[in-house]
Amino acid sequence: HAQHVVSGTVKDENTGEQLPGVNVVLKGTSNGTISDAEGRYSLEVPSQDAVLIFSFVGYAKQEVPVGERNSIDVSLMSDISTLDEVVVVGYGTQKKSVVSGSISSVKASDLEAMPINRIEQALQGRTSGLTIAANSGQPGGGATVRLRGITSFNRDGGNNNQPLWVVDGVIIDNGGIGYLNQSDIESIEVLKDAASQAIYGARAAAGVILVTTKKGKAGSLKMNYNGYYGVSEPARKLDLLNATQYATLRNEAAAANGDPLPFANPESYGQGTDWQSLIFNNSAKRQNHEFSISGGNDKSTFYTSFGYLSQEGIVATDISKYKRFNIRLNSTHKVKKWLTVGQNLGYAYNKSIGLGNTNSEFGGPLSSAINLDPITPAVVTDPVEANQPIYTNNPVRRDENGNPYGISPYVGQEMTNPLAYISKQMGNYDWGHNIIGNFFVEAEPLKGLKVRSTIGAKLAFWGNEAFTPVYFLNSSNIISQNSFSRENNVRLDWNVENTISYTRTFLTDHNVTVLVGQGAYLDDNTRMTRVTFNGIPADNFDDASFNYKVPATQRTSDASEGQDHTVSSLFARINYDYKEKYLVSALIRRDGSSRFGQNNRHGIFPSFSLGWVPSNENFWPANDIVNFLKIRGSYGVVGNDNIGNFSFLSTIGSGRNYTFGTTGSYLNGFSPNAPANPNLRWEETTSTNIGFEATILNDFTLTFDWYKKATKDILQNPRIPFYVGAISNPAANVADMENSGIELELGWRKQVGDFTLGFNGNFSYLKNKVTNLGNGIKFLTDGNAGFQGSAYSITRTEVGHTYNSFYGFQTMGIFQTQEEIEAYVGPKGKIQPNARPGDFKWEDINGDGVINENDRKFLGNPMPNYTYGFTLSAGYKGFDIVVFSQGVAGNQIFNGLRRFGIASSNWQTEALGRWTGPGTSNTYPRLITNDPNNNLNNPSDFYLKDGDYFRVKTLQIGYTLPTSVVSKLGVERTRIYVMSENLATFTNYNGYDPEIGGGTMSIDRGIYPQARSYMVGLTVGF
Amino acid sequence: CNDFLEVKPKGLDLEANYYKNQQEAFNGLVSVYDVVGWQGGNLTTKVGATLSASDDHLGGGEGTGDKTFTTWADYTLTPATGPQEDLWKKGFSGIFRANTMLQKLPGVPMDENVKKRYIAETLVLRAHFNFDLVRLFKNIPLLNETVTPDEMYNVVQATPQEVYAQIEADLKAAIAESNLPNTVPAASEGGRVTQGIAHALLGKVYLYQQKWAEAAAEFREVNGATPGALNAKYGYKLIDNFGDLWKSTADVKFNSESIFEVGYTSTSAGGWGCIACTEGNILNIMTGPRGYTTKTANAPDYISGWSYFPVTQSLFDAIHYDPRYKYTVANLDSLKQYGIADYTPGAQNTGYFLEKFAGRKSNTPVGQAGAPELNYPQNMYEIRLADTYLMEAEALVMAGNDLTRAADLLNAVRARVGLGAVAATMDNIKRERRLELAGEGHRWFDLVRWGDAATALADRGFVSGKHEILPIPLNELNNTKLEQSKEYGGTR
Repeated sequence: HAQHVVSGTVKDENTGEQLPGVNVVLKGTSNGTISDAEGRYSLEVPSQDAVLIFSFVGYAKQEVPVGERNSIDVSLMSDISTLDEVVVVGYGTQKKSVVSGSISSVKASDLEAMPINRIEQALQGRTSGLTIAANSGQPGGGATVRLRGITSFNRDGGNNNQPLWVVDGVIIDNGGIGYLNQSDIESIEVLKDAASQAIYGARAAAGVILVTTKKGKAGSLKMNYNGYYGVSEPARKLDLLNATQYATLRNEAAAANGDPLPFANPESYGQGTDWQSLIFNNSAKRQNHEFSISGGNDKSTFYTSFGYLSQEGIVATDISKYKRFNIRLNSTHKVKKWLTVGQNLGYAYNKSIGLGNTNSEFGGPLSSAINLDPITPAVVTDPVEANQPIYTNNPVRRDENGNPYGISPYVGQEMTNPLAYISKQMGNYDWGHNIIGNFFVEAEPLKGLKVRSTIGAKLAFWGNEAFTPVYFLNSSNIISQNSFSRENNVRLDWNVENTISYTRTFLTDHNVTVLVGQGAYLDDNTRMTRVTFNGIPADNFDDASFNYKVPATQRTSDASEGQDHTVSSLFARINYDYKEKYLVSALIRRDGSSRFGQNNRHGIFPSFSLGWVPSNENFWPANDIVNFLKIRGSYGVVGNDNIGNFSFLSTIGSGRNYTFGTTGSYLNGFSPNAPANPNLRWEETTSTNIGFEATILNDFTLTFDWYKKATKDILQNPRIPFYVGAISNPAANVADMENSGIELELGWRKQVGDFTLGFNGNFSYLKNKVTNLGNGIKFLTDGNAGFQGSAYSITRTEVGHTYNSFYGFQTMGIFQTQEEIEAYVGPKGKIQPNARPGDFKWEDINGDGVINENDRKFLGNPMPNYTYGFTLSAGYKGFDIVVFSQGVAGNQIFNGLRRFGIASSNWQTEALGRWTGPGTSNTYPRLITNDPNNNLNNPSDFYLKDGDYFRVKTLQIGYTLPTSVVSKLGVERTRIYVMSENLATFTNYNGYDPEIGGGTMSIDRGIYPQARSYMVGLTVGF
Repeated sequence: CNDFLEVKPKGLDLEANYYKNQQEAFNGLVSVYDVVGWQGGNLTTKVGATLSASDDHLGGGEGTGDKTFTTWADYTLTPATGPQEDLWKKGFSGIFRANTMLQKLPGVPMDENVKKRYIAETLVLRAHFNFDLVRLFKNIPLLNETVTPDEMYNVVQATPQEVYAQIEADLKAAIAESNLPNTVPAASEGGRVTQGIAHALLGKVYLYQQKWAEAAAEFREVNGATPGALNAKYGYKLIDNFGDLWKSTADVKFNSESIFEVGYTSTSAGGWGCIACTEGNILNIMTGPRGYTTKTANAPDYISGWSYFPVTQSLFDAIHYDPRYKYTVANLDSLKQYGIADYTPGAQNTGYFLEKFAGRKSNTPVGQAGAPELNYPQNMYEIRLADTYLMEAEALVMAGNDLTRAADLLNAVRARVGLGAVAATMDNIKRERRLELAGEGHRWFDLVRWGDAATALADRGFVSGKHEILPIPLNELNNTKLEQSKEYGGTR
């Protein structure tokens, strides 16, 4: 029972970093010590019965009995119930416990070693309030992000529903956010209510997402490597008809039409060509490597990193790839005791090769693979066939053996042999360089008084190189002269912000922070040049060059510049709390935007929030049930100026040209584009938020929010009557809309012996309703919601309904017999006199006895009402496992995969269940070439499918090598892991992928699906 | 701080400070002419659409989903489906630009005589747009000024009589303007409005209102005292070789027979991104046989087109033994049958295509920027002399006076293609119009105005008292005060 010395190292359970400054106390005494800069401690203990208590801010306390040991290493778990956690708010940070707005955070530890290529993926399913859907599975492709629903209406070419991204204080245009390297991210905060957003008033209405990159810490140098390598495959193939089935159904459709049968002997075609297997890659490679060094001393700290990402697409890999290099340097220097300067600087180069249509029913490899007949061979090897004039008389594409790629005689137009399509695009690519950073100076002349000046900029260069050879894909896709083009763009966005803040505690319990600031912002000034040489002496991309000086008549060029968009702002904020019990925050911002005329140039956006922490009250008994409770509420207004530049003026447009005379030249005509609207003004979104945060039973954290968000004076270019005759539609403040919802976040973490267990989940419900569309306007139709050649848009926006709801005809089953057709009568007799058995029975919605455009109704909602996600994690000794899943529910998907406008397009195997006689089907109509009953031509509920899905997004299993093994090599931590992405998706949807982003979500025109990947990875920390 | 927000538009003119000199006035005038050659969304042109409606052609094209023209061809069109929206847009775009010019021109500091000419040209073009609209839709709003945002949803339709009165007034005002020239130099200004165009159009406007005497007088002004002889005032004379009318060479464009000609060029680099933006003629690719491939060296050099507006058996039978047959009909059926060439039948295929416009490789632009298939330089005739000859003959016959001159006019048209004289009867005139002007966009209008449509189009589903006009486009009824025509179940 002798006294002895116990020593050891304290580390972070998650990151393996040594923790300096940890309190180590002998239980029941005041004896203790503090761990040193390397996390080492040493303490004399009186007996083997002694118990050590390890405690550190932000970590769960741990008690360890000493026993006979001389060496005790401890790993501390960061404590989710900590009240000292800090969150980033606009222009500063705030203790989480005193924040009275609604903010969700994602921390670096949540993202560690996750296979995240773009920041949107880091957020999908990880916080409440966000609906995120990838725009396609194309590597490098972006995503559609909606914070608390749709805040504004879509606008052609606009991103007015995408939140504002702010990286280290620099506002990043939405297209440019893809440059970030995952492991450089320290935290992401999602500002959800107006009180939090209002500090970014002018452009905050669709939400604000703040991204903070990692900074160095004083102490020894840290080096980290994380990398993984793996393969991807498509998770699902569509069930399409084989050649025999196709020929059979074509014959049936022709016979119904009274046409001669196109195929004499369907059986003779066998299985035919499986176009999907020709474009899908089951072993597309992907890899990611990230390396960082950080460190510093009490004067300077730095964080620098290098990243490399490479991913092959699962569809037509030769023309679907993405590569990115990143470099980052963040540093801070304390020049004087009162003066700090620093910079955050990121650079990224990306090269992307895209296959073109990633969600379009009009051709491209995917759409063609879905719609081409399975009879046509992929490559024509039969010499008789290959000598047909279509192959010998035209510059068709050929494989490496000189055999022509098959050209379908049945399915034409934009549907072309995907192999031929790929061959003509080989080598073409897009590139981009992004340099994004800021530089700041911060002075603290008096304690608590900080004067800060920041200049931030995003400098982007991007463009593409493309060679188009002479080709004949089919009689509608012919290029008779090659061309080589190069496009360059450059754009500089910048912002300058100056703030003064003062923090002070009065009379010991009154904590006050006051901030005033000014900002100026400029963007949209893109400069573009493009040159094309036609008819160069080369026949492929590699040989193409602008050194071939073709005559001037064979050169075309174009150039343009964007119109500057400027915003100027003044803002002030006060945060106050009394004993961290009563919280008050108030803010006002005044913004001016170049997008509005003198009448309404400036907007004022106020907000305030209140909070009460009853668990800090004296009357609140110390208990183990509710450890912490904060109730908060907020109200505020934010604005949106996202409408085209100079929309308030009537501009003169060009291109209204005409040719006179016989010289062949033409004259440039100019006319007004649209009537002016000098009263154009800010769109305003008012939001009310009530919520609470609690820590329950020590281990659970719970956050709940209810909100109501009302947008008024929505900026739009509403379609004006054609008789006005203007070429474009004038901007106007047209409509009002409302979103309301609830959000729930739940966290739990527990350590039981050697087991650590964790759960993080979130759930959001939202409801959207259009409340006003302006005087006399009954509904609006989104220009993007056309469907092939159909006369009807598939969505409609109407007062009382969800924005851009699916709209169309309602089927009431299928007429099984002629008697049923006779029996379907209205005031004018038979409602569908021309129908035949097997045709859809359309609901006569207005009851007038005829089926026409007035018999359409609301059929469903493209935007999910419910989104959720959760992470389950468990660890045992060196092993750990993380399962991250997310899902949505409540939406419909428009399955527009089949190109019905080409009657000979292939079908999904559902068509085998078509109506062929009484009782055969009540859901899938008969097949008939000309579709006289518009069974397919009418957008109807027939095309709508349930969009719910649940997806196991990431499953990761890791093993951390024991310190005793790796420390000999000077390595602090080594973890190897295997993981999968998109391992399983549970859905009833019958397309490739139920996750379909876009201006209007959930319209499937043949979306490039998300890949399923399997990877192995390694993390090493020095 | 406010200076920072005062952004100056770059390369972008504002209406408020445009139209400040003669050049800008001219640029505005060009934008009005632009609508004359308008080829709208969904490949819709006035000629193409009305071809599909007539007994000479069908819609053709792709098939199932491509119903813009086939629904007019088989008379199943509804307010939602058919070519009407694009035709409506075209007309009102022209009227908006014309009205803009008529409002701006008085204030432009420029040569006053030139200004007067511009005003006269604009009036004729506005009349042209209104005439097409009233012929196609009957119940249209009559807009003599640009619509202000406040009034945008308060516009109502006028009666056809009011529209016709305005058309006549516009044309008469232009004719009264001495600065509107009788002729223009073909090489530099061919296609611009002349006194000849104004008279020809006014004659046609009278003809449609059955004002026979007034119509005959206007046409006589255009056709000249002696049918077949040169009308020196305007330089009009039938050209010798009928087939030359469909060539694209500089010597043929704006020939002596051309009165109101629509100009196209291969130089505008039109591309797929905006088909409606090209200054090339898209009817050439549209009317070409689908999937055309040659099998022998002497096969005609058609391009592979989109098989729109196939020629009906009825027109084929009517013209087969006429000297104009080979310039009018491309007989792909026969070429295929004899193994000379092959093609893929499109929708409503008949085997016969429209030779007047079917694109030829020899006429396909080479070495020019843009998509060659969208940049054919072939011009089209809105009004040509053979047309005004026949219209005058018709007016004279209907009025029952000067049948000799009527016969001279009719037979001048026939003599040019080597046909013998016939009597000036309505039947003969109708037959002559059909054969002479086949495929040029007159037939459907003629059938309707003669009251022959119900008979000629009976097998196509034409319903008398309904299909004489197009429905007001569905989208145009949304949220406006316009009423659908009674013919389509409306209240107007």
